[in-house]
Parts: sequence; structure tokens; C-alpha cells
Amino acid sequence: MKHLSLLVLGVGLLATPARADIDAALDQHILPGLARFAAAAETLADTAKADCRPKAVRPAYQDAFDAWMPVADLRLGPSETGALSIGFWPDPRGFTQRTLSRLIAETDPVAGDPAAYADVSIAARGFFALDMLLNDPEFSDYGADSYTCTLVATIAADLSRQADALHDDWSGDFAQTLRSAGEANNAAYLTETEAQRAIFTQILSSLEFTADKRLGLPMGEFDRPRPALAEARRSGRSLRNVLLSVAGAHDLAHALAHHDLPRTDAAFAHVQDVAARIEDPTFKDVETPQGRLRVEVLQQAIEDLRQTIVEEIGAPLGIAPGFNAQDGD
Amino acid sequence: MPRLLSTTTALALCLGGTAQAQSAAEVLDNYADIAQANYTDSLTAARSLQDAVTALIDSPSAETMQAARDAWLKARVPYQQTEVFRFGNAIVDDWEGKVNAWPLDEGLIDYVDGAYGGPTDANQLAALNVIANPTFTLSGTEIDASDITPTLLQDTLHEADGIEANVATGYHAIEFLLWGQDLNGHQPGAGNRPWTDYATGEDCTHGHCDRRADYLSAATDLLVSDLEWMAAQWAADGDARTTLTQDETAGLSSILTGMGSLSYGETAGERMRLGLMLNDPEEEHSCFADNTHNDHFYNGVGIRNVYLGEYVRTDGTTVSGPSVSDLVAADNPELDQEMRTRLSHAVLALGRIKTAAEAGFAYDQMLARGDEGGEALIMGGVDGLIAQTRSIERVVSALDLGGISIEGSDSLDNPSAVFQ
Repeated sequence: MKHLSLLVLGVGLLATPARADIDAALDQHILPGLARFAAAAETLADTAKADCRPKAVRPAYQDAFDAWMPVADLRLGPSETGALSIGFWPDPRGFTQRTLSRLIAETDPVAGDPAAYADVSIAARGFFALDMLLNDPEFSDYGADSYTCTLVATIAADLSRQADALHDDWSGDFAQTLRSAGEANNAAYLTETEAQRAIFTQILSSLEFTADKRLGLPMGEFDRPRPALAEARRSGRSLRNVLLSVAGAHDLAHALAHHDLPRTDAAFAHVQDVAARIEDPTFKDVETPQGRLRVEVLQQAIEDLRQTIVEEIGAPLGIAPGFNAQDGD
Repeated sequence: MPRLLSTTTALALCLGGTAQAQSAAEVLDNYADIAQANYTDSLTAARSLQDAVTALIDSPSAETMQAARDAWLKARVPYQQTEVFRFGNAIVDDWEGKVNAWPLDEGLIDYVDGAYGGPTDANQLAALNVIANPTFTLSGTEIDASDITPTLLQDTLHEADGIEANVATGYHAIEFLLWGQDLNGHQPGAGNRPWTDYATGEDCTHGHCDRRADYLSAATDLLVSDLEWMAAQWAADGDARTTLTQDETAGLSSILTGMGSLSYGETAGERMRLGLMLNDPEEEHSCFADNTHNDHFYNGVGIRNVYLGEYVRTDGTTVSGPSVSDLVAADNPELDQEMRTRLSHAVLALGRIKTAAEAGFAYDQMLARGDEGGEALIMGGVDGLIAQTRSIERVVSALDLGGISIEGSDSLDNPSAVFQ
């Protein structure tokens, strides 16, 4: 159950032209990030098409996930819905495992049809379906001629198609919608400040999601840690995803801010320092008091970074976060 | 900060019967009055449910079973409208998991179909079936469940092992006990638990009918006592009311936080779009009774209630008074018009889902893979709720509420006090 802090823009002085901030966020972070992701997803699809067995696919899978993380937490415009079918997580009720098992048990013919695969449950699409099929012993022991192998190639092809669509949708209409904020025909963003706030909210909600979910879920309660809930633990990416998402938020903050951010940079460096002390990349050691403490220190450092960004970027711009998609319980 | 004190206005508003001059204090009072009425109505309806459950247990039959189901469906109408009091009011958030927790691993409570499976990695108690098991082990401790009591449900079973899906109390646990699992997949039809699950002697089906009756009775008693408590919190000296009204700016923020969070993250996101994208027929809010269309619809009505400052009670009378709408309209009539229009559009879009469901196109059919009509209906509701969230953000800005942070409800969440 989640609280939310609802802040409001005090009508403040605008330090820089808002339009330039929006352009920078798009041109320096979001659009190139999505282009890199689309290219990496295409390589993944090509790789899986040539050889769909885990050993062949895993490296391209890792690269594509790396490319996704800097833009993974956007929940704006085409990403509002599009991101969910690329990275369906967290999954505390085990939908991914259940849905994949059912497809395989029924040898559902949809596995041979990348176009039709777009209608399949998001639990069986995107990175986390691949994470399980490529790395979980329950699935990953499959041969080149198996149903599962075809399924992996199809999920990779579907992912590549989604990456292209996301990049196209952002590059075209939606980027223009953000850039034309405040113009007479723009019904989505009535002022430039609204568009700035929308992007600003993405930075903060990404950091909040990382602290609360990527770290908070495996931490669990002190006497009941839950390392099995760590994100992408099967591929060993849990800590890496934390670091890449925080770096993405930091990068977007710089693009949006348009001025030096010494306090934000210091808080970001602190995140990296404390993250370097974590010994287990999948947070398995949250079961020990020392291991848990190290993750908790990282969580606190990310919360501090978030707070610093609010003060160093939000306050001068006179903006504060709006509602984010993770409000709710 | 309390600049809103000055935003009184004598504008004649098109809200029939609304008071003339509105101050933030009056708006908060009216909101608290609506909350009190809405929770009191929920309590009254829960007491009717309690009577119906008693009748079912005393004289089990198809008729008393149906009467209990009807009472449950009626009880949902006022309750779902109260969900807009969550998120902004910590006292509600801290409490609501007892009455409306969802989704649940129902195998914790009673028998389930074989396809449900057993314990999972995420929940070792997913198939515990306490009705069939008078003793069981929880985190290494032997639990005596020979008497099924409200205390056992509330203190031992609910969220057992720290797992939120272990829902032992509230509307959805009762729903499961009245309907049973919906085994129709994406086909029409709700759960079909036979009334003989509550029969005595040899007529009893699925075993342990006496324990099942004890469970249903205990869960219903708890629902009533929990709603009694919450209705009291909104009475004249209740904690919810005094907390809300002690700081006008924070109070208004609470109202708008509830509206925005219920619209966007909770209903549009978690309950509607996610279920649709998962294509899972049981990933709907009232999956046993197939009442999800009403859950969403009355959420939408509740959000609109608190903006307009009016609530139609279950006895047909109306509580109304100074509203957030009045405050916005005083300085920004165009924004007020936009907000009202979007609230109406969202209610209408949610109403289309309800209309289709009541005409026979069940919500779980709408969730089926590739069902374009169902997807359009559900996404229409989602889009309406997201659009109104954008207007709620504008209202927050227009009222210039200043840097307020709303107290969180979950110990896991470190309330982020921005602009401290």
C-alpha cells in the first residue's frame, strides 16, 4: 500500500526556457536511448533466429537488457502502456512461470507466429519471459528443435518489433506533442511547465521504483527476506539493473536541468560507491544481517538522490512531481 | 501557506443546491460528511449481509444462498465509492487491507480446483485450506485452528507469512465463500459454489460445512466491526475527520491525492490495464462473483462525488455542500469545466463496461486474448481515468497548495517529504 506525496507547482520563476529543457530530454536521453534499445533488440532477434538455444542467445539478451534499462522506467506517452509488455515485473504471483508453462504444455501454435504473439499475455512476452526460458532450469534445458526454442525466437522477434514501434511512436507524434507544449493546438500539455513536470515525474518515479521494488522486494521484512523476488535474478542482473536505471535517471535529470548539478552528482556518486560494496549481484545475501544492511544503505542512497533532485532541479524550475503510474497499492 | 482561506467566492454555481460561499474549511467539512455517510452506508449494507449470512447458515438452501449473494453485491455499491478516501488519508490506507485486500490466493481458505495447483515459490500457504485443516504449521509454529474465530482470521491468517495474497478477511474472502472459484475461464458465468457447501449432516458437500459456516460468519462479523470503526473515525470527533481538517492545505491535498491515485495507479493501472494485458480471466477485481464492472464503475462515481461535493446515499437522500469544484471555479472556471467534463467522461466510459457486462458480455470475456471489443471497452475506461488524472494535476496546481507531502501508510514506504 503506497502513499504518495502530492506536490504542486508553486508558480515559480523559470530558470531556463522550458522548451530547451524538453528538447534536451528528448534529444540527449530519451530518443537516442530508445534507438540504442531498438538496435540491440534487433540483434537479439537476429541471434535467436539463427540459433535459439540459451548459450547462443544469452549474450545478445544481456546487451539488449542493458540498452533497455536507461529508458525502461518511462511511463509517458507510448511508454505508458508499451513498457509493460517489454518488461513485466514485478510478478509476485508468478504469472510468467504459469503462462509459459501453459503455452509449452499446450504447444500453443502462437509460438510460431511473431505477429500474433502481440496478443499473448504480457507475462509471456518481453525480457522477463526470456529471462526465465533462458536461465531457469525448469525451462532452459531445451534443444534446437524444441517448442521452447521456437518460443524463444518468437519472443525475441516480438520484442524487437515492440522496440521499433516504441522508438517510432516516440520519435514521431509524441516527441512533437512534448515539444509543442503550450501551443494552441496541444491538448495534452497546456503549458511548457506541464511537459517539464511530466518528464520530471519520470525521473523521480524511476528512482522510487528502484528503491521500493528493485531493492525493497528482495529485502522483504527483516525476519523474512525474499531474495527470490529480486529482479532478473536468473540472469544475474539484479544489481546491474539498479545501477543502469539510476544512471538513466541521473542522465535524464542532467538533460532536463540544463545547468550544473553538483549536489545531484555527489548523491549519484554516493549511490555508485555504496553499490560497489554489494557482494552478491542478485542480492541473495539479504539473508545475512551484513548483506541486508548493504542493500539498505544503497536503498537509502537512492532515496537521497531522489530528494536531492527534487531540491536541485524541481525547486528552481518551480515544478514538483505529478501522479505516477506506481501510485496505488 | 494557508492562502486558500481567502479563496471564498460568491459565484453562483451550476451545482444545484450548493452553498454560496466556499472556504477550504467548509469544503473539508463537506468531504468528511460525505465520507461519514458513505462508510455508514457501507456499514448498513454489511449488516444486511450479516443477516443474510446468518439466515444461510441457520437454514441453508438455494434461496438463502442467493439472498446472501444479493446482499454482498448490494454492499459493494457504497463501499467501492469510499475507495477515493484511500491514498490521501493515512488512517484509511492503514485499515483498508482488512476489508478489501485483493488479489487473493483463495486456496488458503477453502478447497480449490485441481488446476489451481499447490504451494508456490511465492506463497507456501497458497493451498493451505484452513477450513479442512484444524491444525497447520505456519513459519515453523503449530497453529491451532480448531475454532475459526474473527481473531484467528485477523491476527493469524490474514497476510500470513507476510504474503499479501494471503487474504483471510474482507469482501473478497466472503465473495469466495459465497461464490467459489469461477471455473468458466473466458466464458460467461461466475463461481458456482453449491448451497450444500453450508448444509448440515449428510447433505454437506465438499466436507467441513460447519467450519466453512464458521469461517463465513467470522469474516462477515469482522467486516461489520471494521466498517463500524471506520464510520466512527469520520464522526464529529473522529480521528480521520480531525486529521483532515487540522490543516486546510494538507486537507485539500488529501482529497486530490485520493482522486488521482485511485484514478491512475490503482484503477486504471493495477486493476484494469494490467488485467487486460495479462489476459487472465481471474485477474479481475471481483473474480468469483463476476462483479468487476461494478467495482470499477463505482470507483469512478466515488472520484466524481468528492470533486463535486455530493453523494447519493443508499436511502436515496443526497449529502452535498461546498466542494473542490467550487474552489476551482472561483478563479478558474475553465479548468473546473474541464475537470467536470473529464470526470463525467470517465464515469460514462466505465458505464459502457457495466452496460456490456450486464447485457451478458462478462468482464472476464473482455479480458480474453485478442478480444478487440473487450479491449476497447476496458481501455476506454483506462483512458478516461488517465485523462482525468491530468486534470486533477492541473487542479492541484491551480489551487496552489504549496509544498505538502502526504503522510504515507505503509511502513515500507518512506514518506518522501518534498520541499521539507
